[in-house]
Amino acid sequence: MSGINNDQVSAAVWFIVGLVISIASVPYGLGTLDSPQTGFLPFLAGMAITLFSFIGLVHSTLKQKKGVGWKPTMQGLVWKKSLIVLVTLFAYVLLLKPLGFFLCTALFIGFLLRAVQPQRWPVVVVGAIGTAIGAYGIFEVWLKAQLPKGPWGF
Amino acid sequence: MDFFHSMLIGFQIALQPGNLFFCFIGVLIGTLVGVLPGLGPVAAISLLLPTTFHVTPVSAIIMLAGIYYGAMYGGSTTSILVNIPGEAASVVTCLDGYKMARQGRAGPALGIAAFGSFIAGTIGVIGLMLIAPPLAEMALKFGPPEYFSLMIMGLTILTFLASGPMWKALLMAAFGLFLGCVGMDTLMGATRFTFDIVELSDGIGLVPVVMGLFGISEVLLNVEQSMERSIFETKIRNLLPTLKDWGDSIAAILRGTVIGFFLGVLPGGGAVISSFVSYAVEKKVSKHPEKFGTGVIQGVAGPESANNAATGGAFIPLLTLGIPANAVMAILLGAMMIHGMQPGPMLVKEQPGLFWGAITSMYLGNVMLLVLNLPLIGLWVKILKVPYPILFPLILLFCLIGAYSLNNSIVEVLIMVIFGLIGYLFKKFEYEAAPLILALVLGPMLETALRRSLLLSAGDPMIFLTRPISAVLMLISFFLLAYPLVPWLRKKRATFPKGEVED
Repeated sequence: MSGINNDQVSAAVWFIVGLVISIASVPYGLGTLDSPQTGFLPFLAGMAITLFSFIGLVHSTLKQKKGVGWKPTMQGLVWKKSLIVLVTLFAYVLLLKPLGFFLCTALFIGFLLRAVQPQRWPVVVVGAIGTAIGAYGIFEVWLKAQLPKGPWGF
Repeated sequence: MDFFHSMLIGFQIALQPGNLFFCFIGVLIGTLVGVLPGLGPVAAISLLLPTTFHVTPVSAIIMLAGIYYGAMYGGSTTSILVNIPGEAASVVTCLDGYKMARQGRAGPALGIAAFGSFIAGTIGVIGLMLIAPPLAEMALKFGPPEYFSLMIMGLTILTFLASGPMWKALLMAAFGLFLGCVGMDTLMGATRFTFDIVELSDGIGLVPVVMGLFGISEVLLNVEQSMERSIFETKIRNLLPTLKDWGDSIAAILRGTVIGFFLGVLPGGGAVISSFVSYAVEKKVSKHPEKFGTGVIQGVAGPESANNAATGGAFIPLLTLGIPANAVMAILLGAMMIHGMQPGPMLVKEQPGLFWGAITSMYLGNVMLLVLNLPLIGLWVKILKVPYPILFPLILLFCLIGAYSLNNSIVEVLIMVIFGLIGYLFKKFEYEAAPLILALVLGPMLETALRRSLLLSAGDPMIFLTRPISAVLMLISFFLLAYPLVPWLRKKRATFPKGEVED
């Protein structure tokens, strides 16, 4: 028999998610069939997740017994790059209000151009500032989108 | 009001200079996002939705619809020239389109894709014109049980057609239903799962979820792979297919049109599924199935026709029943509601100008696309040459601005990024996001229909089986869910082409 496989792991996680949703729905009130309340459908959805993940657990365990083991999800990939992008996205969300759209966008573009697959500095600087000016011009000035302004007013 | 009179009204509206302009902008942007890998029609429509707030409703719908079917045209270009599908519905075009390009036949491949798309798109629009009004009449007879059963059938069809084990697709649909429950309970007025976050009281927005699951996650997956992209350098000539090419392709185009249109109509169907089904059918009916994948023109003509016909078909449930067949239609539904329209059976009666104007504009849009696409292929190739390490920050920025500008909310941007991570994990663990999206869209409508039905029947769930239309829809769902018990059907599903279903 092979080691634990991907579907067993994901089905186990979903099983817990389904149970949590079902339990968390109860306080909203389930009601009765002739008068379903606010928690009725979320409870059903949670139970359905639990049921399908249980089926998945059984299915993947049977496959494990047939020799289907863990399939590497990151083999041959530079996962650090996707991590950098993800962290940069979260940083953008955090800094957008305090720094304002213009500065935050310039830093965001510049950092990604340099950190993920390093571009030459002139490309980074021109790309970052040019994109920020272009995006500000299109969305804030032309389309009148109300983008966050930093302490310096842009 | 007869059919021709309606069409005349439609053309009068669609041919107004302003509407022609918005149609042109829509198909141009659509082709561009179709060409650019990583930015699909869902993200593009979401991004441009706020820009339509200042224009008339009909112009807004004309432009947003143009983006959708324009993307189907553009997607083929990248598939054929770069072997990278610009959007999901063109995945299967890579198989033979790219091989044709390598054999020096990029021109006929691009040409037949454009002509096939035009023929299919046009027939799809005609089908929409013919079917939508009588269906809207019939839909007036629908009550909550019929609506509930129809939505269940749509979800079941999508889970049935999704690749991989069915339990995964059903699980995704159930999770989507839960996400659709977040926010205000429309019948009782209470809020659920909002954690005191004001933005969540209106529910989890579809746009941030879709942009996260399809836009951000796609970029995350792309950056960890080699970002070298080689465009096959060849002189693109003979864009007009030869008589032999036409002879080889015309049956595939017509079959693709029929398949695409009817799969497009089904809630849960759509452009991606139809392109895969069309390819499978072409392979099946061919005298030389072994040649598929080596550069046969039918492998391009069929799927490209199917995905365009599906766009016309997908408008039918939206315009007649108010039910979006896929994520793009769901965003269009939101756009129509923002503009004060309620898609559904009454739309064709109450706002015939808008209904017919939007439909006839699609015909004009298809003509524009044909005129636009062939001469502009050189330009699209130039855009494709922008290296991905420079392109991906821009795609991310478009998504960030799009998510923020919907409601000027940083919470929605955060939701998008979180769903970007979730989408990335889904792809790693081979879960398809399409059932989740459809369930998220249908969730609130489905809940209302379910609870109203139960109230009507004093809690008797048999109401779904005692009303004829509802019973038929439910039986179809049961049949699809019971497939593991029917060996030949299970075998058939197992041979279904594997592919992401995400439109």
